[in-house]
Amino acid sequence: MMNKDFAVIGKNVPRIDSIPKVTGEARYTCDLKLPGMLWGAILRSPHPHAKILRVNLERAKGLTGVRAVITAEDVPQNRFSFIQALADKNIFCREEARYIGDEIAAVAAVDRDTAEEALQLIEVEYEPLPAVFDPEAAMAPDAPRVHDRENNIVYEFHKSFGEVDKAFELCDVVCEDRYLTHQLAHCCMETSNCIAQVDSSGGLTLYVNTQAPHTQRQELARILGLPIGKIRVVNSNMGGGFGSKLVMDMKGPIAACLSMRTNKPVKIINSRQEEFSTAKTRYPYIMDIKVGATKEGRILSRQARVIVDNGAYNDKGPSTLSFASMMFNVLYDVPNTQFDACLVYTNKQFGTAFRGFGNPQIAFATECQLDDLAKRLKMDPIELRMKNLNKPNSMTTHGARITSCGMQECMEVSAKAIGWSEKRREPKKFRGIGMANMVHSGAGSRYYGFNSNDAFVKIADDGTVTLITSALDMGQGAQTTMAQIVAEELGVKMESLKVLTNDTDLTPYDLGSYGSRATFICGNAAKLAARDARKELVFVAGEMLEANPEDLVVKNGVVHVAGSPGKSIPVAEIVQYSVSKKGSSISGRGHFVDTLASGADITAGYLTHIPTFAFATQMAEVEVDPETGKVKVLKIVAAHDTGTAINPVSAEGQIEGGVVQGFGYALMEKLSVKDGRVENISFLDYKIPNSGDIPDIETILVETEDPDGPFGAKGVGEPGLVPTAPAIVNAIYDAIGVRFKELPVTPEQVLKALRDRPR
Amino acid sequence: MPGTSSRRKSNVKESLAHTIRLKVNGDLHELTVKPHHTLLDVLRDQLELTGTKEGCGLGECGACTVHMDGKPVNSCLVLALEADGSEIVTIEGLAKAGKLHPVQRAFVEKGAIQCGFCTPGMVMASIGLLAEKPNPTREEIKQALIGNLCRCTGYKKIIEAVSEAASSGGARDDE
Repeated sequence: MMNKDFAVIGKNVPRIDSIPKVTGEARYTCDLKLPGMLWGAILRSPHPHAKILRVNLERAKGLTGVRAVITAEDVPQNRFSFIQALADKNIFCREEARYIGDEIAAVAAVDRDTAEEALQLIEVEYEPLPAVFDPEAAMAPDAPRVHDRENNIVYEFHKSFGEVDKAFELCDVVCEDRYLTHQLAHCCMETSNCIAQVDSSGGLTLYVNTQAPHTQRQELARILGLPIGKIRVVNSNMGGGFGSKLVMDMKGPIAACLSMRTNKPVKIINSRQEEFSTAKTRYPYIMDIKVGATKEGRILSRQARVIVDNGAYNDKGPSTLSFASMMFNVLYDVPNTQFDACLVYTNKQFGTAFRGFGNPQIAFATECQLDDLAKRLKMDPIELRMKNLNKPNSMTTHGARITSCGMQECMEVSAKAIGWSEKRREPKKFRGIGMANMVHSGAGSRYYGFNSNDAFVKIADDGTVTLITSALDMGQGAQTTMAQIVAEELGVKMESLKVLTNDTDLTPYDLGSYGSRATFICGNAAKLAARDARKELVFVAGEMLEANPEDLVVKNGVVHVAGSPGKSIPVAEIVQYSVSKKGSSISGRGHFVDTLASGADITAGYLTHIPTFAFATQMAEVEVDPETGKVKVLKIVAAHDTGTAINPVSAEGQIEGGVVQGFGYALMEKLSVKDGRVENISFLDYKIPNSGDIPDIETILVETEDPDGPFGAKGVGEPGLVPTAPAIVNAIYDAIGVRFKELPVTPEQVLKALRDRPR
Repeated sequence: MPGTSSRRKSNVKESLAHTIRLKVNGDLHELTVKPHHTLLDVLRDQLELTGTKEGCGLGECGACTVHMDGKPVNSCLVLALEADGSEIVTIEGLAKAGKLHPVQRAFVEKGAIQCGFCTPGMVMASIGLLAEKPNPTREEIKQALIGNLCRCTGYKKIIEAVSEAASSGGARDDE
């Protein structure tokens, strides 16, 4: 084990942004107001599929206070998608609208009331077209076409290892099932918003709540046809992300076009109803999956055929599919696996990244089916999983390199915490316990051919240490994590740390905060930057102390010779000496390069696409009310292999927040879509868990030590919700003997199942 | 229609503007408001007290919770005209001379803050609870915060923070 005698790592220091947030000083993008700022608003299609025959803007333009009204005619015609080869969306609809919410026109006005009044004065004549809402129906040869192309299947993904069919023949037990998940809303407490401001040199600044300022800048450049260097993207504090703010949505380009037209800053903010009814969602998966094992419980083969409802436009669909397939293959040591999937257009809101990136969908199916397999093998679910464990320092048959791996320990500690063996042995009526495991990336992905990061550290003449990092904080605590890493590596106190981030003019290129990558990737860069600065610091200190720099210790902001703490100099004095006597200030650069990423091919699938894996076990105890069908989750034990927890309270917070999202996913949340229209567009109708709903949560950090992560750490952002839903659904099975294969499990479904079950 | 916030009214003439008086965080203000403006609009747009957040505009998320005459309210549901003559405390009015309110301090120390967007409303609602019940049970805390949604924390550390503030005498602003 590594020396765990850290000064700052592993300590529950309060977040560096917590005091501004608790006093109301913290500014979010939605709080910003610029001089002369106009309000923008977007007119959206009320039809799921329609031809646009005529648009009349005259009445809107004539309203006092309106400064611009624009449509497709007034903006660049470039098409966009996250993967440019799949580009299918213009800033505004040109001839057709393809979902309810598709952008038709926009206005800029002196205030929000006037902008919204102007929208009502825009006249649009539509010719409704046949629409398709079900992905399987959309695959039929005679289905209405969402786009002008041969069929609605926009992307296919096939990946196979070993020989699944032959292996199934060798199995004693084979399970085959269909599992379903639906569209979900991210429900960030701050809705999506931005302010665009052009300047006289043709530059554009976009203030926006985004998880990925640098890729957002590239995306804006692509759709607007501007040179990247003309664009600056600035973030503020962010009211949540969860994947929703990873890829640009059209508010940015629309605000930019309105600003170009008016030469004023233009702000656009989603109302909550607009966010529910038009924003991007979690991808719904239809999963036909099959698993087979020998009678001894060795899983030999596993297969998935997945149909993903893409919605009307392309976004992160191909990437989530690829990621889901990786997790499907890598979870447990299974020698033969096959994953076939297709992404299908429908006339609905389209999907995007959402915490877990396809894994919560596939994990729900895989882990529920595994419990059925265990039952047929007359085996305890833990025993079956133990026989097929992922192990540390191993290579899977798919070529994935597993380094640190706490899967076994996660199962052992959570079983003990929930009292698995006692509670499984003596089942009470309508009460049950269940479990699920998961594997996830602990460091983003090499999928995009790049997974590196730079960071800079400078030390001011009063000893203040400033870290310049791209690690974007959407609320998960990345800034504090980075500060702890730098404080530890440099040997200074947390109080002397400042973190600068959020501005593409300031920070090095980066892919953004997603895929549980910031701690590992940006953290490694920050650590190297601190090490570089420390090298300069001890060099100068060596001259001052007349000592060999290699013999010096930096601790708590003071440098002394190892073994003689009496003779010491504060960091501030070293910087002052360096500046005045040597004509040099002190700084450091961290250059973390993930060389394996450069060979990754976005289309070829994966082998070593994940730098390290995170593992977890969750166990749920539930009670089912036979009168109401309500499932009460009494307790969730969440044991997560986080690597070294840089800030344990922060890591627990990520897991607890994930568990509660997973709880909502299992039992409460679903966008109810009828003929392409979302029916539940408020928090009253789209319920997310509140403080009264939540189960008791016991979080256990299983701190394996990752050989490549900063101080042994790996990512913890997404895993929290991945195993929650299958753990709960497996517990419901244990309680009432009914297998639910569709999320969410509602009281109506439970009551119906209780009525229908054989007695 | 998607894109149109239901609470925004159009065609409101300037002549319908009214003058109201508010005491906010100890300061008196005389303000001109339109009949459809909410207390939240006035706080954020006119007084630029942006610590109070708008999460839904419909009274469903609690992000805009402030104290009006000592009681927590969803400021998006209070018309500015209704608030005339009242005394408002927002999140910006809690810390005195740089010293955090015990509930604020507990939120910081217990790690109850992630994105922080729900935090101001959560803190105001918690102080409202402790004023009524200085020693609430865990269940009472959970019930009291039902109207304040949080998507990041899973509520566990928020409940712990309120509990901690209560046991350290958080009902009183210990100035």
